[in-house]
Amino acid sequence: MQKRSNFLLYAFIAVPIGLMIVPTMVVLAVALVPTGVAFLLERKKGFYGGLTVGAMNLAGAAPFLADLWFDGHTIQAALDIITNVFAWMAFYGAAMFGWAIYSTTPGVIGTFMAMTAGRRIAAMRDQQKDLVQKWGPDVESVYEPERKAGEVDTGPPDSLTGGMARAM
Amino acid sequence: MAEAATDLRPAPESAPPSADPAASTPPPPTPETVVVPSSPSGTYIMVRDRFTIFCDRPLPSLDMPNALAYEVADRKQEGRPLYALVCRPDMPARISVMRVLKGLEIPAVLHMVDWGVAEWPLLERKCVIVIYHRPLGGKVMDSHYGGAKRIADHVFARTVVKPIAEGLIEMGLKGITHRAIRPDNLYYIDEQKTKIVLGDCVTSVPAHDQPVLLEPIESGMAQPSGRGGGNYADDMYAFGASVLMIALGRNPLAGMADAEIIRRKIQIGSYAALVGDERVPMALIECLRGMLTDDVEQRWQPTNIDLWLNGKRLTPIQAKSEPQSQRPLRFADMEFHSIRPLSYAMYQNWDKALSIINDGSLEVWIRRGLELNDLADAIASAIKGTGAALGKADADDIIIARVLMLLDPKAPIRHRDFRLFTEGFGSSLSTAMLRKQKLQPYTDFITRELWRYWIVAQVKYNVDNQQYEGVFRELKNYLKDQNSGAGIERCVYELNEWQPCMSPLIADQYVMEVKGVLPALDAVAKTANTKVWPVDRHIGAFLRARYAKGTGSQIDAMNDQRPDRATIGMLSVLAIVQWRLGPEALYGLAQWIGGLMGPVVNSYQNRTKRKEIEKELPKLIRKGNLAEIFNYLDNPQERQMDAEGFTWAKAEYAAAEKLVYDLEHGQVDRQESAMLTGRQAGAAGAGFIMFLTYLIILLGKVF
Repeated sequence: MQKRSNFLLYAFIAVPIGLMIVPTMVVLAVALVPTGVAFLLERKKGFYGGLTVGAMNLAGAAPFLADLWFDGHTIQAALDIITNVFAWMAFYGAAMFGWAIYSTTPGVIGTFMAMTAGRRIAAMRDQQKDLVQKWGPDVESVYEPERKAGEVDTGPPDSLTGGMARAM
Repeated sequence: MAEAATDLRPAPESAPPSADPAASTPPPPTPETVVVPSSPSGTYIMVRDRFTIFCDRPLPSLDMPNALAYEVADRKQEGRPLYALVCRPDMPARISVMRVLKGLEIPAVLHMVDWGVAEWPLLERKCVIVIYHRPLGGKVMDSHYGGAKRIADHVFARTVVKPIAEGLIEMGLKGITHRAIRPDNLYYIDEQKTKIVLGDCVTSVPAHDQPVLLEPIESGMAQPSGRGGGNYADDMYAFGASVLMIALGRNPLAGMADAEIIRRKIQIGSYAALVGDERVPMALIECLRGMLTDDVEQRWQPTNIDLWLNGKRLTPIQAKSEPQSQRPLRFADMEFHSIRPLSYAMYQNWDKALSIINDGSLEVWIRRGLELNDLADAIASAIKGTGAALGKADADDIIIARVLMLLDPKAPIRHRDFRLFTEGFGSSLSTAMLRKQKLQPYTDFITRELWRYWIVAQVKYNVDNQQYEGVFRELKNYLKDQNSGAGIERCVYELNEWQPCMSPLIADQYVMEVKGVLPALDAVAKTANTKVWPVDRHIGAFLRARYAKGTGSQIDAMNDQRPDRATIGMLSVLAIVQWRLGPEALYGLAQWIGGLMGPVVNSYQNRTKRKEIEKELPKLIRKGNLAEIFNYLDNPQERQMDAEGFTWAKAEYAAAEKLVYDLEHGQVDRQESAMLTGRQAGAAGAGFIMFLTYLIILLGKVF
């Protein structure tokens, strides 16, 4: 009951506003199709796909919406825009760029994080070498984390450590 | 003169002019077994810058069984007749007696001018040297087999008996027993051979060189080294037997085996056994009977001699005869009617003795034949108690030993070939160690508590036995302890006050006092194997026995299982001795010690500190101060800093290890994190681009 009353409240506010900005809505209805698609495809991974594509999609639509808002906010103007091939190229090109951002950023961040971890491991190993040199091998110890029941240690991947652990 | 060694100076290459032309003739071969290297001709040693002892002028006629005699010249009193006895290194000398006798002029006792420990070139080691006034008339009897100058009967008592008795009275007043009274150790002090003196009594353990003939029955049963200091009655017995031999001019029992002499003495009494069918001067019979009485309480004392010489007739009370059994006990093809002869026969036939013990015939014979129920009960109890406490193999010998103790409590403790008195245990152990004999009988004696059985078996209460009980309990504890500072080595030093340290490292230095240990080690540092510790079991035991308060905890530290703590403990033992007793610098020993400090240096975890120590240590070694080396190596602040630093380093290493582990093992999480972060960053970036786009376009439209 509570959800239904909220929906009615939003509809009561949104419908009059929507009626007031019909030309904008027309343009957005055409321009934001990629955004909708992105929301639908990435809905299980959060809404970051839709947000990224949507933001770029809106950015691509920005020049045309500005023209609509400042040069005459009419249905005709809206129709002119949505029938303009360059407008479509702008909408969809920007959306594609947004998708590209969404696809590549995790990889870039992951690579960066791995590089940082490798550097820290190397720094730690150097520090340990210095300790052994100064205090002898008795200072060495092996870290054995407390395992939870059923947990299996697969060991560190060589790709990350670069065989550093063995070299040490 | 224990400190005389420091007074010695190197011998010059040529000998001083000889006063004795006979010295140029080659010395006759010595009868002793001391291995003497070829004599470096013309050598002598100086003692106290006063006495010159000529190494190449032996005096075989004055040799003792365990000491060789050499000529001595006195620089302060030219022409004073002296001679030196150089003690065999493998025979403990009676140092405590030397300390009393030195310088004392006791009538009828050879005057001991001085004594000390000095380097003896012929043996290339230090030896005890005793300087005596030289008897000019030679020995009263060449050997205890015979060869005495006949002394007229009418002067015999005044010439022989009186002076010796006076000498024994004087020695008694000093609390000393002679225990070496025998015809070949009595000398004419003058060339005219009118005055007799008692010879040396300090160059061997008490009564060691006494023939069985001259010893009381009980002492004669004991092995020579285990007879103990004895008492004045023992001296009187030896004196009486010696008087008899001198009076006869020969040994009345010459050629008779020791066991047979003892058997005869037991069987018919000492006087009868020694005199036999010999013709003894009538005037001496009473005196000899008094001195050769087997009952110690009835035996004449020197004061009785004095009375006798003054004409008072004293008839010795006959000793109580032993209980006799009507029914004989047959053992070893002999029949016995009394206990003591049986006891001796059982000892002589050790392996057969068990049969009459086990079959009960001994007990029955004592109970029914002799009617000594208490003794029979004690034997039964001993058999039962020993059998229950020990295994079969061990029990048999102990049972025989205990039964013999009960049968003849006055006899020494007899355990197969081992036979000694508790009093003589220390000197016997010392002799065995010096002669590198088997020590198993001695450890068995302590651990199997033969001493306790013997004390319990004594019929007569003796306060000394209570003291021995305490001593042997302590010895048993030492034997249980396998560490340095304990063991059989500790026993020998505890029992013998003046026992020199027998460590192979410094045995040649004849070290009797703690303060002599370090200089001795320093002296041998150049030639010793410096891979081994300078504190071996003997030195540890010697220091513990002589200087327990000063070195006890340090020796405990030396026994630590950890090599570094043990090594620093060993250093601390030597350092504290040097600090308290000197000398100030020990360059050789410091060098030796420095080479052994590896484990201590390595006990520092900090490698930088180790390098620093390795650099600094040689400087300290050159100073020769062990205390400084110890303080530097075992500085508490440095130790604490090292320990704390190491703990911190371990923690740091572990933290780094954990971080590395986390970094290496967190990849899956990190990929997920990177995915999420990348998407968030992409969305934020796209949002920012959108914002900028709208801002720029809207601003462009407005303006």
